[in-house]
Amino acid sequence: MAHFGFDRFSAGPLWHNGPAPGGIYNFPGRQVEDSGRFIERSKQPITTGTSVIAFKFDNGVEKGVAIASDMLGSYGSLARFRDCRRLFKVNNQIIIGAGGDYADFQYVQSMIEQKNIDDECLDDGFSMKPKAIYTWLTNVLYNRRSKMDPFWNNFVVAGIQDGEPYLGSIDKLGTAYVDNIIGTGLGMQIGVPLIREAIEKKPAMSKSEAQQLLVHTMEVLFYRDARSFPKYQIGIVTPDGVTISDPLYLDNQKWGFALYKK
Amino acid sequence: MFLTRSEYDRGVNTFSPEGRLFQVEYAIEAIKLGSTAIGISTAEGVVLAVEKRITSPLMEPTTIEKIVEVDKHIGCAVSGLIADSRTMVDRARMECQNHWFSFNEKMSVESVAQAVSNLAIQFGDSDDDGGAMSRPFGVAILFAGCDEKGPQLFHMDPSGTFVQFDAKAIGSGSEGAQQSLQEQYHKSMTLKEALTASLTILKQVMEEKLSSTNVEVVTVTPEKFFHMFSKEEVEEVIKDIS
Amino acid sequence: MALIEPFAGHTPMQAQRFSPYSDNGGTIVAIAGEDFAVIGSDTRLTVGYSINTREQSKLFRLSDKTVLASCGCWCDVLTLTRVLNARLQMYNHEHQKEMNTPAVAQLLSTMLYYKRFFPYYVSNLLAGLDAEGKGAVYHYDPVGHYERNQYYAGGSSSALLQPFLDNQVGKKNMNGVVQEPITRERAVAIVKDAFISAAEREIHTGDAIIINIIDKTGVKEERFALRKD
Repeated sequence: MAHFGFDRFSAGPLWHNGPAPGGIYNFPGRQVEDSGRFIERSKQPITTGTSVIAFKFDNGVEKGVAIASDMLGSYGSLARFRDCRRLFKVNNQIIIGAGGDYADFQYVQSMIEQKNIDDECLDDGFSMKPKAIYTWLTNVLYNRRSKMDPFWNNFVVAGIQDGEPYLGSIDKLGTAYVDNIIGTGLGMQIGVPLIREAIEKKPAMSKSEAQQLLVHTMEVLFYRDARSFPKYQIGIVTPDGVTISDPLYLDNQKWGFALYKK
Repeated sequence: MFLTRSEYDRGVNTFSPEGRLFQVEYAIEAIKLGSTAIGISTAEGVVLAVEKRITSPLMEPTTIEKIVEVDKHIGCAVSGLIADSRTMVDRARMECQNHWFSFNEKMSVESVAQAVSNLAIQFGDSDDDGGAMSRPFGVAILFAGCDEKGPQLFHMDPSGTFVQFDAKAIGSGSEGAQQSLQEQYHKSMTLKEALTASLTILKQVMEEKLSSTNVEVVTVTPEKFFHMFSKEEVEEVIKDIS
Repeated sequence: MALIEPFAGHTPMQAQRFSPYSDNGGTIVAIAGEDFAVIGSDTRLTVGYSINTREQSKLFRLSDKTVLASCGCWCDVLTLTRVLNARLQMYNHEHQKEMNTPAVAQLLSTMLYYKRFFPYYVSNLLAGLDAEGKGAVYHYDPVGHYERNQYYAGGSSSALLQPFLDNQVGKKNMNGVVQEPITRERAVAIVKDAFISAAEREIHTGDAIIINIIDKTGVKEERFALRKD
């Protein structure tokens, strides 16, 4: 979220020449950012989540979208928060997964919840469809980037659109695309090839097979992503509805490949 | 109609119980006081002819302008409150240039009429930017032009209603003139025939004697576009109508 | 991703400046014939060395006579095309007719220049038939300069492909050339060859091409696979 420089509404610095709450700390001896005269906007994320991975599955009997993300909130390289839920059920046909700044995600989440309440008030039995929320998010993120005040997130929209699986991705600029497999961050570079290989071997996947594949992918991602965590969640969207698992743990980790492990 | 007049003729936003907007109807009455203007559309082009009321011998007739160029391919004749018409012509010209700027093409005659109509019906509107226009425009307009659909003539009244015509008369002599147009107009009319017809009819309904100083004549053709007749050219036409 | 590193220690801490633009790669090519126009794009969408998706067409069908190809900063492409489609729809309603290609060409230029000081970072090619039914190709710079050409290449491989088109379509730098109008088959073949060559040498182009052929009967679409590495 946007935070502002020192003014009469803001709290003073925590110590002499130190950071103010919500401000940016300038290390001594480095060039001091001119924060007094201009509006200071979020030009970097603070508490962050890492990758989100998702893919469509369909074996003729079961079809839907499977999505996963771990639960770590990183503060730079510090593994700061260990219970950050980054999969968000919008309604009975949509899950949104988010990476990047966790505060921005929570803000967007509250906007969507308000939209849900507005929809509910109309009482016409309709709720947002995945493509609608995907387009809306694209516009929201593009508008914020155009104000040079971006929501520092990657969003993955997983859902069922008119009975068919729907999967789309939007980044902080409003760059948006749909695909059968989507990964953000390191999930794009490590997760997606794993999933693609598995799907090429077995194109028609059941729900539980999709779930298994996500568990495997999350495990490999944990081995290589230094900002990841062995506690994660899996979400499944099918025409029957949405489920988001309770926190899962990567037990049975196999660190045998690590060269100097005793 | 004046028998039913009551409080309902004060605001432009209030319908009478019979469902009428008196201010608009009064504006339509106002244009019947204006000088007569005639437009005839033929396959070769459109003719516009208007009378200029020279109310004093000391007046300079050329300063009365009742036919104006909107764009190279569109002209319009006005009758009624000429000052009001300037606002509308300004809008028409602006829309044409804007259309050219955005699309690099000529604006169609119908679209120009539509754009001016959008302005004409704004009486009574008010929003955050400003107050309402206090009354409808007291103007009737004939739009003559040539676009990709060929030569066309549109008429618009103070309510903003616009309709395409083969031939149309507006202003004080309009009733008689319209009758004559109906008798004389035919689909295969040439531009020359339309010119003579328009001046003949104008002559019939004018109080003063028609001359090259008290009429304005314009043709809009696919070849020459908007063309205002010079004094000599007008005299040439007048010669033919005895 | 650059973060505020509280214990950065040995590495100099640098807060990465936010950039509203990204280069998402992609190549577009168009050739105009006597009574037709051919326009094509690859389907790869990239960020840096990563491939976002292998199935993103960069062609936008604006009408039965006009197709736009657009690539560069993908978020700008999405917004520009969305606004353009809305403008076309408004024109349809206001004027009760479909916009012809030269009018779309002018409108696109106006829209691009409108954002002169915060431009859409986009390469555009517009192909279609003009009012006389002749093939037309227009190319643009990001801030609205435009020109009508017989052929053009835009996007990440434009510098590779333009000289190729100059030679093969424009018959430049050749001896004893007979100038004759290009046939549809030849135009499509050149577009395919151009993309195959681009995909060999340039990593932001590949996966597949989508070709639209526009003539008086409407728009026909062809798909053609490229290398995926």
